[in-house]
Amino acid sequence: MTVLVTTALTTALTTAGLYACSGSADSVTIYSGRTEDLIAPILQEFTESTGIKVEVKYGQSADLALLIEEEQAAGRTDVDVFLSQSPGSVGYLDQLGVLESVPDEVLGLVPSEVRDDDSRWVGFSGRQRVLVYNTDVLAETELPSSVFELTDEQWKGQIGIAPGNGSFQDFVTAMRVSEGDEATAEWLAGIAANDPLTYENNTAIVAAASRGEIEVGLVNHYYNYRALAEDPSQTTANHLFAEGDPGSLLIVTAAAIVKGSDHPTQAAELITFLLSESGQAYFAEQTYEYPLAIGVAPPQNLPPLTFQDVGGIDFDQLGDGLAGTRQMITDAGLDG
Amino acid sequence: MTTSTRAQQILTGSIGLLFASPMLFVLWRAITADRTSTAQFDDLIAPAWRTLLLATLVSCSAMVLGTLLAWLLMRTDLAGRSWWRVVLILPVVLPSFVGATAFLAGLSPDGFLTSALEFVGLDPPQRFRGLGPAWMLLTAFSYPFVLMPVSARLATLRPSLDESARLLGASPWDSFIRITVPHVRAAVIGGGLIVFLYVVSDFGAVQLLGYDTLTRVIFATRQADRATSFTAAALVLALAATALLLSRTVVGDIEPDTVQTIRVAKRHHLGLGQIPALLGCGLVTGISVVAPLSSLLVWAGRGLRDGRIDIGDLLTPTGNSAIMGLGAAVVTLGIVAPVAARTVRRGDAVSRLAGLAIVGGFALPGIVIALALAVLTLNTPAINALYQTIPVLALAYVIHFGSLAFGSSQDAARAVSAVLRDSARLLERSAVRRLLHIDLPVMRTGLMSGGGLVMLAVLKELPATLLLSPIGFRTLATEVWSAFEEGFYADAAAASLMLVTVSGVLTWFLVLRRVVAQSA
Repeated sequence: MTVLVTTALTTALTTAGLYACSGSADSVTIYSGRTEDLIAPILQEFTESTGIKVEVKYGQSADLALLIEEEQAAGRTDVDVFLSQSPGSVGYLDQLGVLESVPDEVLGLVPSEVRDDDSRWVGFSGRQRVLVYNTDVLAETELPSSVFELTDEQWKGQIGIAPGNGSFQDFVTAMRVSEGDEATAEWLAGIAANDPLTYENNTAIVAAASRGEIEVGLVNHYYNYRALAEDPSQTTANHLFAEGDPGSLLIVTAAAIVKGSDHPTQAAELITFLLSESGQAYFAEQTYEYPLAIGVAPPQNLPPLTFQDVGGIDFDQLGDGLAGTRQMITDAGLDG
Repeated sequence: MTTSTRAQQILTGSIGLLFASPMLFVLWRAITADRTSTAQFDDLIAPAWRTLLLATLVSCSAMVLGTLLAWLLMRTDLAGRSWWRVVLILPVVLPSFVGATAFLAGLSPDGFLTSALEFVGLDPPQRFRGLGPAWMLLTAFSYPFVLMPVSARLATLRPSLDESARLLGASPWDSFIRITVPHVRAAVIGGGLIVFLYVVSDFGAVQLLGYDTLTRVIFATRQADRATSFTAAALVLALAATALLLSRTVVGDIEPDTVQTIRVAKRHHLGLGQIPALLGCGLVTGISVVAPLSSLLVWAGRGLRDGRIDIGDLLTPTGNSAIMGLGAAVVTLGIVAPVAARTVRRGDAVSRLAGLAIVGGFALPGIVIALALAVLTLNTPAINALYQTIPVLALAYVIHFGSLAFGSSQDAARAVSAVLRDSARLLERSAVRRLLHIDLPVMRTGLMSGGGLVMLAVLKELPATLLLSPIGFRTLATEVWSAFEEGFYADAAAASLMLVTVSGVLTWFLVLRRVVAQSA
């Protein structure tokens, strides 16, 4: 037992020492809200092609944003690049003023709709909001063309939503911008009156639709592709709302450079790589996402997409930002 | 007062303060938070009530179930009991979100539970959500928190009273209720308290089962509305403190055993009772272990067939998990056991307060403890170099899970009777040798069971591991989460099954093997 303990402690301390010594000049440190499965391969490719090492801390975007906030409040910068699963968390940091500007040549790689108007972040892949449905109980023709129709009596007790999840909140924020607060509040109240079932995240909604717990669910398009890759016999499919409908918003995953970064050049190089042809092809082919860089076509298995202006969603402009969206969700009686 | 007792008191107080630091952080943030766009306090009342209701129900049912199972394992000739002993603690090795996700998948049209229910002629439920399902599933995942300490207590409890009762004609059931239960009361209530705290701090399972508690508020508002988030965390603490004080009152002061255990208890012959006992164990295992594992095996099987799963990739995380689990368990015992022994032997105010702080650490969601330690490390010049290093991560584990070792350590300390300690003092002058040769051997079973729970909890810990670990440090829990989050079920299942295996093997070799040998 003593030997075991000594070995354990020695190993732990050695490991600690090794990690403490890392962080050389030609490296870039990333906090990634995208999970390892979704981004590690392309980061490895980046290192192979540029020689720049990457160190990554994975976690939920919101938690990592809080960590960056605390680090900055203590007057230090432990990370160069923040990769966020949604614009919400990166917008939160932008509001705190802890992000550097992304260089113009990097911003220029994507259409203006999918980057921040103040140059603080740039989108690097896209997920479209869709309605996932169980193909055993519904046919595509029975599904609504607008997210506003989900307040119909027909869907009572059959809708799955994830009101606490970042992508749902971003979608509501975008609806506030395009349709106004009044229409958004009315829609939220209508959904609440339809007794939706609430879930923690998109994955749980797709799983619930597959076991018939709900008929339809508001999710990002990517999750059903993922589920079908795991189990092709699963009876779920994505339904797209009409073009231009707030229900078919594009949610971008966003990259930002953290204030005080020791490696701004390498950080910019990393983001450029993510937006390069091989980077964008990775997202299109491996993670079923929409490429955002100008001149890169979406993969054939995804329906074409017109960009809405997500970069213009200014959290300051809304006055109360994310907190206001959350409050509206709660006020409607949805537990978010 | 001598210098050494004074020093001990200061040390105990410091340990208490260390454990209390995340709670003080929560209270400080709740008070100082900017409240311009805060939800009404009323919005928190309903989740708080639901949290209290669920935690009370689950802890009551887990106390009954855990005690019954411990008695079956330790005091009867239940068939296959050494096998059951491992299987029945397995439910705690899965992170709750994994257990719940996998359990729910069993209710799919082609899932294990659907088939099992149809086999016995029942319709599977279309929806498995709300209070009832949450009560059932959380009980199934948490009763080992009662089973382990009660088993350890039964292993050291002298069997003579129980045997006398039976000589006088009491049935096994009578002697269980009238003799055994009163003696294991402290261990039962201690375990029930842990279950209560587990439920109030759980996020994964309650979310998946659509039961809305305070942790949902903490998570949903942690970025958008921090005042509400920390107020909800403060409410969690208030619930925990109430449960803690209530359990102290119910247990009261317990006298240490005056007679030492030197021989093994005779086992009750269940006879025909084997049948319901085995059916009961089977049902519990079916819900808490077989159902989730069958989904995990299906997912992992798909990944293995098409070659997606790379087991080699799991070796580093497995090693990291095992080292952190073992290391944190040893360090936790080293810090917590002395305080626990002091509360039993002296019962002074300082050690009692330190004990409260230690137990309370389990009530806070991991993310809150992680954030508290990050802020503490970042803003303390003496230790800010340790930010995102193994020592601070280990400290987070110790603070979060110290409570799991505390009750068992107290029981272990009670097992060393005053008579024994007096005689030892006469025969051996060196306190160190007394500790090594008298106290620790007697306390071993209790300490091992507490340490084992800490190890299992560390193996599956997620939020603190993600935020506080050195950059690039991967554990099995982070692999499981990363894959589950985005629906990579095959990878998630492979890592989960590895987690179950490592947990099972370590628990068997370090904790159970000895208990089994002692009471075979």
